[in-house]
Amino acid sequence: MRYKSQSVAYWYFAVALVLFGLQLVFGLLSATKYLGPDPLLYILPFDVTKVIHTNLLIVWVLTGFMGATYWLVPDESRTELHSTKLAYVQLILWTGMGVAAVIGYLFRYGTGNKLLEQPLPHKLVMVVCFLIFIYNIGMTIKKSGRFTTTEGVLVLGIVSSAVLFFPALLYYENYTVSIFYRWWTIHLWVEGVWMMIMGAFLAYLLIRLSGADREVMEKWLYVIVGLVFLAGILGTAHHYYWVGVPHYWLPIGGFFSALEPLAIVGMAIYAYGAMRRSGMSHPNVLALHWTLGSTIFTLFGAGLLGLAHTWPSINKWTHGTLITAMHGHAAFYGAYAMITLAMISYAQPSLTQGRPEKGTSIGYWAFWLQLGGMFGMTISFATAGIGQVYLERIMGMGYLDAQLKIQIHFVMLIICGTIFATGVALFIYDFFRYRPRFDVDEPAAEGSTASDARVS
Amino acid sequence: MNNRQARIFAWGSTIAAAVIFLGLTLDSHRQFPNLTNAENITPEVTHGKDVWHKYNCINCHTLFGEGAYYAPDLTKITQHRSEAYLHAYMRDPGSFYDEQRHRRLMPQQNLSEEEIVNLVKFLDWVANVDNQGWPPRPILVTGGFTAGPGSSGAGQPVPVQSSSTSVGVRPVDAGDDIRALGENVFRTAMPTCVACHSLAPGADGAGPSLAGIVRRTEALLASGNYQGQASDVEGYLREAIVDPSAHLNTGGMYSANGVSFMPDTYGESLSEEEIEQLVAFLTTLK
Repeated sequence: MRYKSQSVAYWYFAVALVLFGLQLVFGLLSATKYLGPDPLLYILPFDVTKVIHTNLLIVWVLTGFMGATYWLVPDESRTELHSTKLAYVQLILWTGMGVAAVIGYLFRYGTGNKLLEQPLPHKLVMVVCFLIFIYNIGMTIKKSGRFTTTEGVLVLGIVSSAVLFFPALLYYENYTVSIFYRWWTIHLWVEGVWMMIMGAFLAYLLIRLSGADREVMEKWLYVIVGLVFLAGILGTAHHYYWVGVPHYWLPIGGFFSALEPLAIVGMAIYAYGAMRRSGMSHPNVLALHWTLGSTIFTLFGAGLLGLAHTWPSINKWTHGTLITAMHGHAAFYGAYAMITLAMISYAQPSLTQGRPEKGTSIGYWAFWLQLGGMFGMTISFATAGIGQVYLERIMGMGYLDAQLKIQIHFVMLIICGTIFATGVALFIYDFFRYRPRFDVDEPAAEGSTASDARVS
Repeated sequence: MNNRQARIFAWGSTIAAAVIFLGLTLDSHRQFPNLTNAENITPEVTHGKDVWHKYNCINCHTLFGEGAYYAPDLTKITQHRSEAYLHAYMRDPGSFYDEQRHRRLMPQQNLSEEEIVNLVKFLDWVANVDNQGWPPRPILVTGGFTAGPGSSGAGQPVPVQSSSTSVGVRPVDAGDDIRALGENVFRTAMPTCVACHSLAPGADGAGPSLAGIVRRTEALLASGNYQGQASDVEGYLREAIVDPSAHLNTGGMYSANGVSFMPDTYGESLSEEEIEQLVAFLTTLK
């Protein structure tokens, strides 16, 4: 690393990876409950393992985003962070909030509102963390006077994430209205502003890994952001199917969510094009795997599998079945887990001591086992979901009886989930087996490389 | 495209999409009271919603198809199960389903009576929200539609009382045989008959299978154990439809405290003619 303060990213990544590991424990537990009977019915029932599984996902991905941002901003703005102390305070508050939330869920302390289960005090701590984060990043950039487009997209993504959290703090008397605003937070995060954050990370990685021309990369970053919002904002409508809102949301949801893959295709072409044009000469080949892998898996999970059930006349049969779980797992993993792992892989040779730049063989095993495992999990959910839709929704078989007929797919799910978890365990082991480094390993380059030259 | 044009595209499309979205949001707020019957959100319904949240129901079940996929969708549950059934179920789920057989079971939630009553009121509010006609066919908890006589290769579902009609419904018109009309009532009446009763021998759901109902009724009437007013099979079936508690059949699965779990609303929701047709259909189930 070029700046000493970038080492705060190490601790963010460390926390993120531990929580990632924990998320999988609860994921696997949830999966085995589909086979049943459940010996933990009164100790750790499904609703508890499931809420912890999804909440840990949100917390660890955001932790990873924060760490990656603290790594990226000094590089882009060519300066030390405004305050490493604030960054550590933020991490401690954030982690404390996450751990407290998980422990609370074990005792059923939560709001029971899907994906926004965090109790109000926890939500307020999250707001405080967002504010510290935005302040710290803002001051760093302001002090340096150097503000790149990549950074601009990233900061706008982070600020919008905080703003969109606001509807989640309010109370709604009408259940339908509360659903309406839940998706302002969740959908506009994952299919809006987090896409900006992902796009910014992608641009950063591609500029550095492929040495592609910054001007060209940042121009296309704008185009991608435009496409994301054009489709993503009105695409919120696909969460408004069948929940008691006006009927016009159906065709709007169908049309604009069909457009959503455009931005994702754009991203994949963007990454592939950069690699084609400028070669894959960067020594950190592992980070290249994760970067390209992320765009391709996003195309598959978010783009293709999202499109598969987003049209209203299809969705009316698949809505609320395991088809949604199929799309959710592949999309979240491809877009957000993998881009975070890409940033970690890119940064870790200089965050730790003695690690080979091109990655270790354990690192490659981790990559391929995760990819294979997640692909298998997606197929398991898909086959289970297709069975469920035909038996339960179309043939009219009762839910419980239909679930018995698709048991074999849950066996497949657990096997693939285990392969995936092995890959994640290897990634975590590979991360922690080298000691962290807290000094600068390459000189801060004042306007050195051509790819770094543009300042907007 | 140069950098400036790309930037204009990004801002332009974002702002345009946001403006349309906010406009539609305003219009949605105008329509919410009507679509969701907001005047029916009583303090009891709101308390029921809080119960739904407090016990983390949504992390197993779905409502409006939203939630987790580990337990049945409950959007229209009050149209499939009577209040009495839902109350009894919430007191002890384990007496209704067998974990060994279905491989999963809802844990006992230990709700207070008030919580149970209001939760069911909330679910009834949910069931009446205008949610764009979803689900297209009833989503059942257990059992299922079994093809009855005459329904094989049948045509389009006919909306009779609700947009949520059932599978395999043959179109009928007034001139059809009374038993065909009765089968249509059986498959389209709300609450849905088939949500609890199958026509397959031995396939009991939340209600007993209706296969062989005629033979069983004859045996019952002859046995002297019958507690109701009817004197023949038709009379018994009519009584069972309009006054389900007149004679209680078997065990804790179907009734509690002398009250049948079957909805007692058919006497009002079905016309005299429809009840006659339904009885005619049921008497074909030897």
